[in-house]
Amino acid sequence: MEILRNLWRRKLRSTLTITGIVMGIFALTTMGAMAEHFDALLAGGITYYGSGIQVADENAPSGSIGGGYMALSAVAQIQAVPGVAAVFPSVMELAKPGAISIVNMGAPDYIANYTPGSNQYSGFKISLAHGTWITNASRGDVDLGSSFAAEFHMKVGDTIDLPVRPSDAKPDFVNHAFTVAGILHQTLTAPDSGAFVSTHDAQMLQGDGLPSALKGTVDPYQLVSGAVVYGKPGVNLDALANRITAQVPTVQATKPSTLVNAFKAGGDVFTVMTTATALLALIIGGLSVVNTMIMSVSERVREIGLKKAIGARTHNILTEFLAEASLMGLIGGAVGYLLGVVLTTMLNGSNSSQALFLITPGLTAIALGFAVAMGAVAGLLPAIRAARMDPVTALRAQ
Amino acid sequence: MPALRLEGLTKHYGQPPKTVRALDGLDLEIEQGEFVAAVGRSGSGKTTMLDCIGLLMRPTQGRVLLGGVNTGRLTDRQRAELRSHRIGFIFQEFNLLPTLSAMENVLLPLRYSGGDRTAGRRRAGALLEEMGLADRMHHRPTQLSGGEQQRVAIARSLIGEPTLVLGDEPMGEVDTETSAMLLSLMRRINLESSVTFLIVTHDLDLAARMDRIVRLRDGHLVGDERSAHAGATRRPTGAPAIQAPADGEADLVAV
Repeated sequence: MEILRNLWRRKLRSTLTITGIVMGIFALTTMGAMAEHFDALLAGGITYYGSGIQVADENAPSGSIGGGYMALSAVAQIQAVPGVAAVFPSVMELAKPGAISIVNMGAPDYIANYTPGSNQYSGFKISLAHGTWITNASRGDVDLGSSFAAEFHMKVGDTIDLPVRPSDAKPDFVNHAFTVAGILHQTLTAPDSGAFVSTHDAQMLQGDGLPSALKGTVDPYQLVSGAVVYGKPGVNLDALANRITAQVPTVQATKPSTLVNAFKAGGDVFTVMTTATALLALIIGGLSVVNTMIMSVSERVREIGLKKAIGARTHNILTEFLAEASLMGLIGGAVGYLLGVVLTTMLNGSNSSQALFLITPGLTAIALGFAVAMGAVAGLLPAIRAARMDPVTALRAQ
Repeated sequence: MPALRLEGLTKHYGQPPKTVRALDGLDLEIEQGEFVAAVGRSGSGKTTMLDCIGLLMRPTQGRVLLGGVNTGRLTDRQRAELRSHRIGFIFQEFNLLPTLSAMENVLLPLRYSGGDRTAGRRRAGALLEEMGLADRMHHRPTQLSGGEQQRVAIARSLIGEPTLVLGDEPMGEVDTETSAMLLSLMRRINLESSVTFLIVTHDLDLAARMDRIVRLRDGHLVGDERSAHAGATRRPTGAPAIQAPADGEADLVAV
């Protein structure tokens, strides 16, 4: 209580100092929330891509959704490669063709085929929150990722037209009505923005989007975007990817380690950004606390002398001033953190396609812990100065 | 065993040849329950003596024995503990913490000495009542008059149940009437609880109302006499009584 009163004695100064901490922790919270979201996205990607091999046509553009086509017949050839446990054809299309997302930290909304059984092989599991799974026999049914469902306010039984018609749709744009059969649990990564249909329906949609040069010349039901290959237990997936590329003509298998390393490299960028923000917070908030505590010690020299005279020991004085500095850190940290939560929640709500920020218990602990530690560290020097003060000199100070 | 014994107490400041001899071989003995005034001109060494007795300062030479304990051998931590449990301080400028109420100011020493907080609050309440501040317990220092603030400070000096209370011009900031009232208050406590009081003052009228007056000049004890009111306490032993010279009020030190 006395600590609060001491802070309140110099309202303006304390307010300015705490404001400095608020700014720093606010920046740390928002940047941290962005990093947490990105980390979750990357973690999902690392798990998913680390457990299987992505195979595409050798001429398909890499890293895109749609646009690449692989002959379905290649799936059987891949299956014959030694070490392969299972092969699942993948068909993927943009759910909102033409839509431009200005701020997008994850995968854009997409439509993909869901093949029963793939979930048991994949290292990344998806699960249903509501409704039922798509089967191979499903026609006109869709399971939606959590973000996708939230974006379009969908619940089980509702109908949605896929792909979503863009505002500048071409005259030949075609979409189809799908009934929402299920909604997936949130994964914080790519499946959240997915719409999962049967392979047949996915091929139908892919056929609608074929370039006019191909339309009518190929059977869309004999085309897929690629395939996901799972190895038998103990098989080195990178080596298996090399074998697939070598043994199956016209396909290119990407080594899982290549994709995983790419994801990790992306995460490092955010780690640097978050660390830089933390340093900024440390400098802004820390210097404010140092200044305030030095002033506070200078103004309270007689008080320190008195306390020593009536029995306070060095560590008592040290503790009291450290507690005051830490409390400033805690108040500034709490306010900065709450402002960060409010802002990120608002931004998440305003971004119709996907959340950008993720507040986690870890981030909360880091933001508040960092604020308190920063206050304590910044207050250490003034506190030591106060604690070491000679009582006689302090008592006689003017 | 005397409550306080100073043996050749010496305190020098600075380096030769500019050494200031604030105290120069001071011998003094005060019995438990004495009500003593220390007087002397500015620079006579009385505040330095008080600082040494209060264990706020280490002497250059000599010994300070409190209740027979040679304080020179104590560590800083032990000295802080002794201050906390055996010594009470009253200052000229009250030195109350502005953020604390009267009650909280009185309780402050217990924060560092530990002990039962409930019992402490009870005792603080009783002390403030004794000081006539029953209705001022929750007031901040800025809401109290000078006399009231000093009464809070006196209560604070007594909360740890000390055997020795040291006052450094405790009546220096209050008017004559309040000064007399505060002295009466301290006197009553002295008689009721046998707490030894050693008060540094410039006010010779005030000093004359105490049992014993010691006089300092240039770091030496130059006078030690009992006043007409000395009957209430025991005659000090040790240093022989010295007649105070009649060469001016400012030179008088009352113990």
